[in-house]
Amino acid sequence: MMSAPGRGSALLRSSQRICAQCTRSSRPRIPTTIPVRTAVTAAAATTTTTTPASRRRYATEASTAPGSTSQQPSPSSRASPPPPSPPPVASTPPASTTAATPQAADPNPRHYTIQAGIILTRAPLLTREQTPFESAFYLYQKRLNERLTAPFRPAFYFKPDTALDLDWRLKLRERHGVPAKDIGRYNPRGRMAWNDEVMAGSPVGDPDNIRDKLLADAEVRVSEDGEPIPAEDRVPVERPMPRRTEADEKADTRRLDRALDKTLYLVVKKGSGEQARWEFPSGLVTTDEALHETAARVLAESAGVNMNTWMVGRVPVAHHVVAPELDEATGALRNRGTKIFYLKGRILAGQVTLTKDNLRGVTDFQWLTKDELNGVIPRDLYPSVRGMFDLR
Amino acid sequence: MSFPLPSLRGLASRLLSRPTVSSSSSSSSSFSHLAFRSATTPPTAAARTTTTPPPSCLAAAAGVRSLSTTSSVLAPPGAKGGKGGPQKGGRPGDKNAPKRRKKGEVQQRDPKVVNMLRHMAVLSPRRIPPPLRMGRNRYLRHWTIHRAWLLFRRQQRQLREANLMRQYQSMHRACEELRRTAGPGTREEGYLYRVAMEKKGVYGLDSIPIEYARAQTETPARVAWNHDWKAGDAPGKA
Repeated sequence: MMSAPGRGSALLRSSQRICAQCTRSSRPRIPTTIPVRTAVTAAAATTTTTTPASRRRYATEASTAPGSTSQQPSPSSRASPPPPSPPPVASTPPASTTAATPQAADPNPRHYTIQAGIILTRAPLLTREQTPFESAFYLYQKRLNERLTAPFRPAFYFKPDTALDLDWRLKLRERHGVPAKDIGRYNPRGRMAWNDEVMAGSPVGDPDNIRDKLLADAEVRVSEDGEPIPAEDRVPVERPMPRRTEADEKADTRRLDRALDKTLYLVVKKGSGEQARWEFPSGLVTTDEALHETAARVLAESAGVNMNTWMVGRVPVAHHVVAPELDEATGALRNRGTKIFYLKGRILAGQVTLTKDNLRGVTDFQWLTKDELNGVIPRDLYPSVRGMFDLR
Repeated sequence: MSFPLPSLRGLASRLLSRPTVSSSSSSSSSFSHLAFRSATTPPTAAARTTTTPPPSCLAAAAGVRSLSTTSSVLAPPGAKGGKGGPQKGGRPGDKNAPKRRKKGEVQQRDPKVVNMLRHMAVLSPRRIPPPLRMGRNRYLRHWTIHRAWLLFRRQQRQLREANLMRQYQSMHRACEELRRTAGPGTREEGYLYRVAMEKKGVYGLDSIPIEYARAQTETPARVAWNHDWKAGDAPGKA
């Protein structure tokens, strides 16, 4: 597939594309035209003062050209980049990305406070659950493999007349001569070699069933003297821990060993009573700080320092804009808006520690999966952070 | 085909080949191997399925005497038996039979080596089981399973790609908003953005902590999460 025209072409002097910043900075208060290629080239043809190669033409100058098309009001054209006739403007994002901000976004920077927040996540510790189709497919493939590969040679792995060899032969006899432990009872040679499929609903391919079989096979059945060990003397193999932990059963949302196959996100409770909100830790950015420094400080102040964390770079992963409240009549500012930029952090060990005199006024915390976050964080915040979630 | 029809493909090679004194199975390959490369794709196969014509009639047809000096292109005499299966030891062509170097001295091969060679012999093309043959309905079931698996993989791939796209778009929107933000206080527009775009600490040995490389497992550890980690447990940095 051909790649899109490079962003470098926007920097060429002869290019007619203009980035949104230049458009905004050079736009006068009169309505402007859309710099369609034909309009601008017509302007270039009519104006004889300068050659196109020497000076970058701005959208504003096309207003003198006769070939001006429709006119757009300035706020909306500020919000959306100049639409192209072929190819799209590479240096500005498509109009859909600005859909998050309202159409008439207040451009005055003094109307906003800037905050940096941190979305601290605990990555999944367990693999995804196998779907029934996957388990059935893996069993099918194992049986085909049994048919297609050379048969198992125990003589290579088990020295004859050793305890281990006797152990192997004993277990092989219990498996009815099948060397593989996870395919059930199937012989790839002989008159029943065609019968390699299992019936629907068979427990042969079930991962838990296979795990049980492997654990049963791991027991030592023959002693060092070569005698079979009776059932009461056999040492059972330690079973692996269950995938659902105690925290899952109790639904303790403060624990980090809950929902081990999903990502957990830290939310803290700020405020009290009716004004209590569950949100990601965030705080004001001071003039001498960058976003990532603020986020680290805010995390330490909100959730304590007894966590081994790592901030994933300096780049924000999500943002949330609260529009400022302006007086309808006068246009004066009533309430400042906020722009919160969230950075992503990972917790590797430890737990949140809250003290009574918490600097940020945090009273409670929870570790929630992305589905549980939906009902807990404010309704306007969820769509803003939804984009940074992972699959699990 | 119920009866072995002599293959016409090898006919030209067989007519033109010079039979030698040595074994019949490789006779057709002696001359055809050297000259008629394109026509001799299955010369040995053809030779196996059909009987070679007696040397006398071929020699009469060709009018030249048979080549007996090209024994080097023929397989060595013991090769047809191969390394020998584990059941049949001590055959005349058995490479693992004890060799006699000097008079009265028998050199035994190390049994461990014998065992390993027999194990590796299983990898030879002749010992690998033949391709499967299935009835129509069985094949259709296999084809359906194959298509279903491909579809499943495609769905997983598309989910992954859509998720990556979503995450990237979220970052892109945040960065775009940051770029148009006049920083706290007197910072000019885009200051925070430029600082965020710096790549300090991204490349190098200290970029990612080793604990981040914890792999996902099917079952959790005995202690799934260390809740008791304290700030003092951090490895001290110089």
